[in-house]
Amino acid sequence: MRGARHRSGEWLITLPSLAWLGVFFVIPAALVVVTAFRPADLHGGVAAGWTLENIETLRDPAWLPILWRTLWLSAATTVVCVALALPVAFQMARVGPRLRQFLLLLVVVPFLSNFLIRIFAWKSLLHPEGVLTKVLVSLHLAPEDALLLNNAGAVLLVMIYTQLPFAILPLYAAAEKFDFHLLDAARDLGAGPCRAFMKVFVPGVRRGILSAVVMVFVCSLGQYVIPQFVGGASDEMLGNKIQQRVFADRNLPQASALAAALMAAVLLPMLVVAAWQRFGRKEGAA
Amino acid sequence: MKRSRVPALLTLGVIAFLFAPLVVLVVNSFNASRFGGEWDGFTWGWYEKLWEADEVWESLGVTLKIALSASLASMLLGTLAACALHGFRSWLQGVHSMLVTLPLVMPDILMGMSLLALFVVTGVETGLATIWIAHVTFCLSFVTMVVLGRLQDFDFTLLDAARDLGATRAQAVRKILLPLLLPGVLAGGLLAFTLSVDDYVITFFVSGPGTTTLPLRVASMMRTSRSLPVINALSTLLIAGTFLIAALSFRLQRRA
Amino acid sequence: MDDFLVIDRVSKSFGALRAVDGVSLSIRQGEAFSLLGPSGCGKTTLLRMLAGFETPDSGRILLGGKDVTGLLPEQRPVNTVFQNYALFPHLNVWENVAFGLRMSRRPREEIRSGVDRMLELVRLSEHARKRPAQLSGGQRQRVAIARALVNRPQVLLLDEPLAALDLKLRQHMLVELNAIHEQVGTTFIYVTHDQGEAMSLSDRIAVMNEGRVEQVDEPEALYETPRSGFVATFIGDANFFTGMPVELKHDGYLRVQVEGLGSPLVHGSGFVSSHEPVRIMIRPEKISLTLERPQSGERVNAFRGVVEDSVYFGSHARYHVRAGEHLVIAQLQRSRFSGGGIEPARGAVVWMSFHPDEGRVVRLEGAA
Repeated sequence: MRGARHRSGEWLITLPSLAWLGVFFVIPAALVVVTAFRPADLHGGVAAGWTLENIETLRDPAWLPILWRTLWLSAATTVVCVALALPVAFQMARVGPRLRQFLLLLVVVPFLSNFLIRIFAWKSLLHPEGVLTKVLVSLHLAPEDALLLNNAGAVLLVMIYTQLPFAILPLYAAAEKFDFHLLDAARDLGAGPCRAFMKVFVPGVRRGILSAVVMVFVCSLGQYVIPQFVGGASDEMLGNKIQQRVFADRNLPQASALAAALMAAVLLPMLVVAAWQRFGRKEGAA
Repeated sequence: MKRSRVPALLTLGVIAFLFAPLVVLVVNSFNASRFGGEWDGFTWGWYEKLWEADEVWESLGVTLKIALSASLASMLLGTLAACALHGFRSWLQGVHSMLVTLPLVMPDILMGMSLLALFVVTGVETGLATIWIAHVTFCLSFVTMVVLGRLQDFDFTLLDAARDLGATRAQAVRKILLPLLLPGVLAGGLLAFTLSVDDYVITFFVSGPGTTTLPLRVASMMRTSRSLPVINALSTLLIAGTFLIAALSFRLQRRA
Repeated sequence: MDDFLVIDRVSKSFGALRAVDGVSLSIRQGEAFSLLGPSGCGKTTLLRMLAGFETPDSGRILLGGKDVTGLLPEQRPVNTVFQNYALFPHLNVWENVAFGLRMSRRPREEIRSGVDRMLELVRLSEHARKRPAQLSGGQRQRVAIARALVNRPQVLLLDEPLAALDLKLRQHMLVELNAIHEQVGTTFIYVTHDQGEAMSLSDRIAVMNEGRVEQVDEPEALYETPRSGFVATFIGDANFFTGMPVELKHDGYLRVQVEGLGSPLVHGSGFVSSHEPVRIMIRPEKISLTLERPQSGERVNAFRGVVEDSVYFGSHARYHVRAGEHLVIAQLQRSRFSGGGIEPARGAVVWMSFHPDEGRVVRLEGAA
């Protein structure tokens, strides 16, 4: 029956979303790349003509520490999130359906609750007058004048906190399809629980790991709100610079050049993964 | 064979980590202490202050207006998109599928930035309409994914059965496909609604004068430490709302 | 009467695959008819063309003298019981059964009485308000049957109706389906891959293989006189021997020279040409095993062999007996009262014998 449907029908139901995403997603993204080659005007707009000036400023070595910080914060966030999410996904997939639903709800609620609220919660926890500081000081784990806020550690902690559900959800989806009898088989063949987990479960959910890594890493690269609220002046990431160029300097072309660079940094790992998956499939088929 | 307790304990730890900040926040919304470092006694005071904060309720109005209209629009677009993606295998759907998935992994800042570039270049005044456009754009992909999942579970012989019993193709879609798809569409809509209410980064880029949504308001309150505990109270209410919507969405997806 | 539903040289291809290849059948009104064959034989495609879900590439389908080939599923007086039943999960039992009548806009009163009567027929009246998910497999099946029959179709199609049920329920539903068929008198067309199911459900069976009909016959005739090796092996087990015909007798029996077995006498029907080799088929249970050479007239075929293996099945036992290059399978009932009841051990020399009526000539091509 499917073959009998007409092509016009396909276009009719595809066009609304395709056109919407074309106009409000593809064209704007292309526009950012184009704007990176435009001069700025004085009113925060884009002037006529073409220039390489915006791109050339990216070669300023002053960018290197920011770029480096963006990369290592994102990488560290990714590693910690996936490492924490693996056993959680494993556990969620093993329990009964009712408990599983409940656990899923528990993971989803912080994920859905307001992003700013979660940052704010940490900001008040880490505040010099906040609960965490008081507890640490009273336990003599931190000096009286400890500053938990406004440093790279705080940024990393809160990034892990906000990204964790992004790692758990794809890993859980993969773990749900995992055949847990394989673990019994591994144990039966003499592997300890830890080895069985590392050698059988982890490879079994590698697709989930891959999407969790891409998801967390890519989202972290573009982060700017967390450094803005819980980081110090020396903890800024690429996103902060983009945001400052747009709103403080009102220089859209400069911001576009940075955004285009970020876009490249985001697309690159995704293309690598896509290529790897395609190559892997072909290899598997042969 | 005895199962290791380690994953269970780690899971408990992670869930505690996820909830501890939120719990402290909720508790502190009833704490008379300004910074919440210690318990200074129970108070409704912050909620009373919140009640009097007109600008917060104004923002809530803006947010709800945008969230409702954006989730409705994305439900419509996303359901059509999911039907197209599920029903056809062609180069067109290959492109379509890529376009639908890319926004899911695009960092918010890039999406906000590029939409701002579009509005600046075309000379569109930023405001309610531009926020609505931005929200529909990022909600669309999420709704599509939820509905698509539902479609993949749908048994298409049910449509054959309906035709066999005398229903025309249109009747089969209306009487069988739509009612069975509806919970999925609603769940997608609820997700879109929460994402729209939640969004800060993209909204920040495309908002204009007089269109302060709730997250924008919260951000500006966070910068002025005078009203910090009021944010606790507001957050508590928002978390409760999120919990309700998530539970509702789970129920919808579990039925049938 | 005899040509109520006529399938006239119908073909259907999917890409390079010829799913149905020039099939012609004619089915009587009120008949219980089965399309039997292995998966991929084209039986399901044929059923979907009868229901209107597929259109034949060529050929016609006539129902009651009317050409229905081009009609959409909703326009045909044909209803289907789907393999997984395809009950609408959001409607309760009553609403499921009422669906077809509502689609054809029958008066409310007629719908009510029609549905109630049909639920009574399948004994589900007390479950009318339940959702399909709350029913057992057998109950779901009965809802599917009621939902189709309530529209008074001229033909009811049943796609693997018992495949989703467990063994015990299947045996119960066999009886039930026969009872329902008897009661409503509608033409039933079953599609199945299970020969036992087809044999016990149908008046006639069409055995299909690779898009073609191999043989159409009553169940007993299919078993006793299969016309091809495929039919013989698909319905039951069979021994095949190839040999040259040497003499066609006046009484219709055929003497065939088979290497290693001498020249047994077999039933001559199906024999065509005396110049080509023929294949003869003997069912394992038609072969008797004895330790002594049977007291034979000319009418009993007997030959010697050595028991290579035996397998015990409870109600019967099977022996693999080597006779020259042939490995013959013989099946013996395990009954104390069966006359020549022997239990030969491995390596024992035995005599195998069969009556000429039990040896049948089958087509050489389509060999199994």
